[in-house]
Amino acid sequence: MLKKLTQFYHPTTIEEACKLLAKPKTAVIAGGTAEALRKDDSIEALVDITHIKELSHLDQDASTIKIGATTTVQEIYKSQKLKGMSGNFLKQVAGTVAATALRNTITAGGNLAAQLWWSDLPVAYLILDAEVVCRLGKPKRTVSVVQIINDTPAKFLKKGEIISEIHVPCFGNNTGCDFRKQIKTHHDYPTITAATRITLKNGMISEARIACNAVTPFPFRCQEAEKFLVGKKPTAENIEKAAEKAANSIKYREDYRASKEYRQEVFQVMVRRSLEASVEAAKK
Amino acid sequence: MQLNCKVNGKACCFEIEPNEMLADVLRREGYRGVKVGCREGSCGACSVMFNGKPRNSCITLAAMAEGADIMTVEGLGTPDKPHLLQSCYVKHGAAQCGFCNPGSLISAKYLLDNNPNPTEDDVKEALDGNLCRCTGYIKRIEAILDAAQQMKKSAKSTRGKK
Ligand SMILES: Cc1cc2nc3c(=O)[nH]c(=O)nc-3n(C[C@H](O)[C@H](O)[C@H](O)COP(=O)(O)OP(=O)(O)OC[C@H]3O[C@@H](n4cnc5c(N)ncnc54)[C@H](O)[C@@H]3O)c2cc1C
Ligand code: FES
Ligand code: FES
Repeated sequence: MLKKLTQFYHPTTIEEACKLLAKPKTAVIAGGTAEALRKDDSIEALVDITHIKELSHLDQDASTIKIGATTTVQEIYKSQKLKGMSGNFLKQVAGTVAATALRNTITAGGNLAAQLWWSDLPVAYLILDAEVVCRLGKPKRTVSVVQIINDTPAKFLKKGEIISEIHVPCFGNNTGCDFRKQIKTHHDYPTITAATRITLKNGMISEARIACNAVTPFPFRCQEAEKFLVGKKPTAENIEKAAEKAANSIKYREDYRASKEYRQEVFQVMVRRSLEASVEAAKK
Repeated sequence: MQLNCKVNGKACCFEIEPNEMLADVLRREGYRGVKVGCREGSCGACSVMFNGKPRNSCITLAAMAEGADIMTVEGLGTPDKPHLLQSCYVKHGAAQCGFCNPGSLISAKYLLDNNPNPTEDDVKEALDGNLCRCTGYIKRIEAILDAAQQMKKSAKSTRGKK
């Protein structure tokens, strides 16, 4: 693993880090929980971004939650600053990630960039319409999380570019979110991860989000099913139809934990229950 | 390359390979309390305190520990002068083969340092990454809750004496 590694840098500014990352055969490391185990023997240098103070922060104002890329999952889970629908939802999801020592290590940026089928926070970012700030030295661009995930972070980010911040909008009244994971034991990787958001306006669904992971190779938004719900009443029938559409829109991955057929059947039930829970929360 | 860090309060300079894991470096340097079970971050046997927080040293590149403050179980107590948590583990039979203990003691220390009044659920969560294949999970919970009680009592009596 990382057999050709000869250099390890600890920059203290984003500009310095991006400059180092522009060099060939150089990669970024944050928590290192995926990078340290990477079976990539082409890498000769690693740039540790955890000494960059600017990247470690967690703030919430009236409209947005800003998560620095090296903020750990445990810091999100235990945050006193995060409040309201979006804040509490992020805390809940962060609390389901791995175990304490790992949560102390896994970073928000690494969790998004690693794009694994068991990653949890990216599923939450998807239903919360998060935006991702990317830095290439001083220049920065802000993109929707769905774009970076669909393009895959590895392809989307330019050489030398890093994720510096994740912005999550604060949803208020009339919005409900729900996250659920089917997992055999707390320590295993999930078989199904599903999350939904519903925003109601005058009793009708004005926005719907349905996202998943583990049934797919990386986090995915079921946009066809979302579109079906918009402008409709949150009736049991509409919810069931949306869940069916979501379940039919996926190319299922499988492993020894569960077959494709099993995942499809259970995923549909989980989406239905998740949508019901989001509707109930939106009514409160 | 060289790694400069602190281990159990002592400034250290270790010669390391850039792709070596912290667990392997610590063991080579004599900190054999650091156990390696799964090597993939799942069992918690290799947990060390890393800048005040438990971390799996088997998936931490040693080079990431540059400037870090590390505590292994050797820094917690000695056979002659065990830490209260270690005594409580013995009292409650929370140690059998002992392989998981160095890691779970580090997690327990972190819990009590930050929460002197833990509930049973707090203990379960703090040790959620430390597998034990021998004792089951009840005894170590009892041991940690007992240690918390004793710490509180001794804190009260010291306050009373002042
Ligand atoms: C045993 C175990 C169980 C786990 N369980 C879960 C779980 O239940 N849920 C979950 O969500 N995760 C889980 N994880 C974590 C997940 O598998 C990844 O390891 C983790 O998300 C990576 O984050 P990191 O900060 O450690 O990133 P690193 O390992 O440092 O990096 C991961 C990748 O992202 C890149 N990268 C890192 N930061 C940035 C950045 N700021 N900008 C651009 N690229 C970047 C790196 O170059 C690398 O390619 C688990 C990990 C382990 C070891
Ligand atoms: S050896 Fe590190 S977690 Fe198992
Ligand atoms: S005492 Fe043997 S694994 Fe815990």
